[in-house]
Amino acid sequence: MIRTHRGWQGAAALGATLALVLTACGSDGGSGGNGEPSGDPVTGGTLVYLEHQPHDTLYPPAAGFYPNGGLVNNITDRLVYQDPETLEFEPWIATDWEINEDATQYTFNLRSDVTFSDGSALDAEVVAANFDLYGLGDPDRALTVSEAVNNYASSEVVDADTVVFNFSAPAPGFLQATSTINSGLVSASTLEGAFEDFGPGNGQNVIGSGPFVISAEEIGTSVTLSAREDYAWAPAARENQGRAYVDEVQVTVTPEDSVRVGALTSGQADVIRYVEAQDEAQVAGAGLDIYAPQTRGVNNSLSLRFTNPILSDLRVRQALIAGIDRQQVVDTIYTENYPLATSSLSSTALGYTDLEEYYAFDPEHAAELLDEAGWTLGADGIRERDGQPLTLVVNEAAPQPRSFEALTLISQQLAEIGVDLQILRADAGTYTEAIQDADQVQIYHSMVGRADLDVIKSQYYSTNRNTLLNRDPATDAIADPELEALLAAVASEADGDTRIANSQAVQTYLAENAYVIPLFEEPQVFGSQTDVEGLSFESVGRPSFYEVWLDR
Amino acid sequence: MTAEASLETGVPDGAPTPGAPRTRGGGAVGRATPPGRGGRVLALLTGYVPRRLGQALIVLWIAFTAAFVLLQAMPGDAIMIRFENPELGLSPEQIADIRASYGVDDPVLIQYLHTFAGFIRGDFGYSVQSGTPVRQLIAEAFPQTLVLAAAGFVLAVLLAFAIAFLSASARFAWIRTALRSVPSLFVSVPVFWLGIVLIQFFSFRLGWVAVINPGPVEGLILPVLTLAVPIAAPIAQILTRSIDEVYTQPFVRVVQAKGASPSWVLWRNVLKNATLPTLTMAGILFGELIGGAVVTETVFGRSGIGRITEQAVAHQDTPVLQAVVLLAATVFVLINLAVDLIYPKLDPRLARRIGGSR
Repeated sequence: MIRTHRGWQGAAALGATLALVLTACGSDGGSGGNGEPSGDPVTGGTLVYLEHQPHDTLYPPAAGFYPNGGLVNNITDRLVYQDPETLEFEPWIATDWEINEDATQYTFNLRSDVTFSDGSALDAEVVAANFDLYGLGDPDRALTVSEAVNNYASSEVVDADTVVFNFSAPAPGFLQATSTINSGLVSASTLEGAFEDFGPGNGQNVIGSGPFVISAEEIGTSVTLSAREDYAWAPAARENQGRAYVDEVQVTVTPEDSVRVGALTSGQADVIRYVEAQDEAQVAGAGLDIYAPQTRGVNNSLSLRFTNPILSDLRVRQALIAGIDRQQVVDTIYTENYPLATSSLSSTALGYTDLEEYYAFDPEHAAELLDEAGWTLGADGIRERDGQPLTLVVNEAAPQPRSFEALTLISQQLAEIGVDLQILRADAGTYTEAIQDADQVQIYHSMVGRADLDVIKSQYYSTNRNTLLNRDPATDAIADPELEALLAAVASEADGDTRIANSQAVQTYLAENAYVIPLFEEPQVFGSQTDVEGLSFESVGRPSFYEVWLDR
Repeated sequence: MTAEASLETGVPDGAPTPGAPRTRGGGAVGRATPPGRGGRVLALLTGYVPRRLGQALIVLWIAFTAAFVLLQAMPGDAIMIRFENPELGLSPEQIADIRASYGVDDPVLIQYLHTFAGFIRGDFGYSVQSGTPVRQLIAEAFPQTLVLAAAGFVLAVLLAFAIAFLSASARFAWIRTALRSVPSLFVSVPVFWLGIVLIQFFSFRLGWVAVINPGPVEGLILPVLTLAVPIAAPIAQILTRSIDEVYTQPFVRVVQAKGASPSWVLWRNVLKNATLPTLTMAGILFGELIGGAVVTETVFGRSGIGRITEQAVAHQDTPVLQAVVLLAATVFVLINLAVDLIYPKLDPRLARRIGGSR
């Protein structure tokens, strides 16, 4: 059976999960206090947007880093548009598409009127070249494979507006992959560059077909996005079908949190990214808007590396789960924009299933489990077995919000049941080495956002992020082949409903084996002036400035 | 000779000439024996300056080598940090390919010679984190930091002189103790705190200056103030102490005995002599300013060497760090060279020692 995109949408939309996603989105809107747009959009003006960190590359497959993604999302278009509310797929640069039965061949028909900002045509040839690079990478130019593209084999240009992609194994996540910022389409001249050519200082040479172009750049400090006058190929779902409303977006890097928030409340900035949980009250108190789009992937969570001798005991892992009062962590360290996690996947993610009963807080049960496992309380309040103290190390996840504060509280909670949890804060080199060793960092704090079922495989699969260290980096041995098989099944099954079932099987397996302690569903928190209208976000919280206008 | 000396020391008409030993005596000598001065310049050019330049180059080479060795000795490397980051989700084979293409696993000596040859040619390589040529990074950031540091330094010197002058002046004797405690206060103010307080008050509350996307001059006001305060403190301390010391010297009493007014003594005799130790201190501090703008630049979101350094340290970006170390060493060497060359202008006795030592 050949499925058209309408059929595909239907299959995805019919899943019970999606209904959950929709309800979650509905309730989520409450925190974004943006009122009704007052009147028709006004064209013109400059939006001042404050970033937390400078971008480090504009190579789309590496755009997962938020400062990169915020730019790439606005300067590039994608083949397919994923509606951030419904997560359904709609035409964008591709007018329609066909997927063969086992999802090993994708055919896209393209619009023929799209041009890059350097004037060159966006045709099948350049689309094929984009995915050849994103699917295969080029180590000689230090250009990496896109994490979102699996099993890529080759491309064929059928004619000027038809392109076919072939895969060596089923690649059911590819359609969603073409909609992510990691698959932003860039011009032929840009594709010739090496990793260096995508770096800071070269922004003006990274040519996309998106509604904005980079018109000026000061390395590490600011990037100016200018609206493209002739932009006319927005997805049909967008209200705006012409050029972007604002003339310019001034992206300014302001690393200091208090300066970013103060600049917003004093009116020097229009929109800021990364409002820390403790600053939300200040922004809300000033009568400004807070947006907290969800990242819809693997929750902010602790991976328990079961290959470590201490954590190889299921009872110890279960005790850690029962010993942590996650609700207190969320209430103390975060805000209502950080909902308590109820599975390894976010409740706004595709394929989510509620597994809350596995993650209950029960310190007495935790103590019993540790007693059973032979860990007895020592004189200093730390449990020990055969003279070895129950000491575990967790990494401070610097990119995650308030990681250190949350881990400090968790460390206090675990001390109550006799577990000594230490937090690794180290220079980048030591850190990178330590997190690859289950005997140095037994508990790994991380998350990953992507609005596709593949996301769970990205986080735990041996040759992807491998956060559980199921593959020992030293020996390449796989400790739990069953987990490995379950993860592979998510990314290689063509049928949508079966994929959802496979993702749920992974979540259940992770919960039953106590491999993961999910903490909360991570949002991206933005603050905005009330007269900034039309600010929206792609499916994992990167801002889109296309429909922003200034009501002033 | 009396008239000329009177001109030299600048004592007003009617005042007896103080035979101040540390004033610009070199000028008088120069005028009396022009060939001697020429000979000294020649000596500077043939012996002193080349010798100092040679020393400077050796210092730079040592700094380069030490930085290279230390960066190699650190755990991990920039490629590992950049590409083995689990966030990229790369497979072990893909990482191995990239490591090979960067040549990070070559023998250390080969890497050293390769890097050294690059630096000699002026090719500092590429930032591993972002891929931007290091030369471009430095070229864009250095002028920004230089302007900030120079302006901060000038303001710091003005502040320091104001404090020292006021606390030495008899008219302000009643607040002398308070004035003398100002440097200690300045030195103990944390820079990031001062920066944030200045921003909160002058920018966010009063709205006098913008912090976000300010004009070129507007954007300097608060950072320069932030930078100047902690730098002014040690200069003021040294200056005040030197002034006190010079006041105790016999020649000051001679000048006073000859009828010079207190302000005359302070400006023309005491301050001039008290400047020398201050200059040494100022030279060291200016070097620190260039490297030490990290906090100021981060708080104010300015681009500059400090920001680059902070980013490079965070990602162990070896090529950038290597270049920053060399830049900092160069600045220190140049400043010290400049200070050494200015000394003789301020104190002729040093000039004689340098020029006439043969």
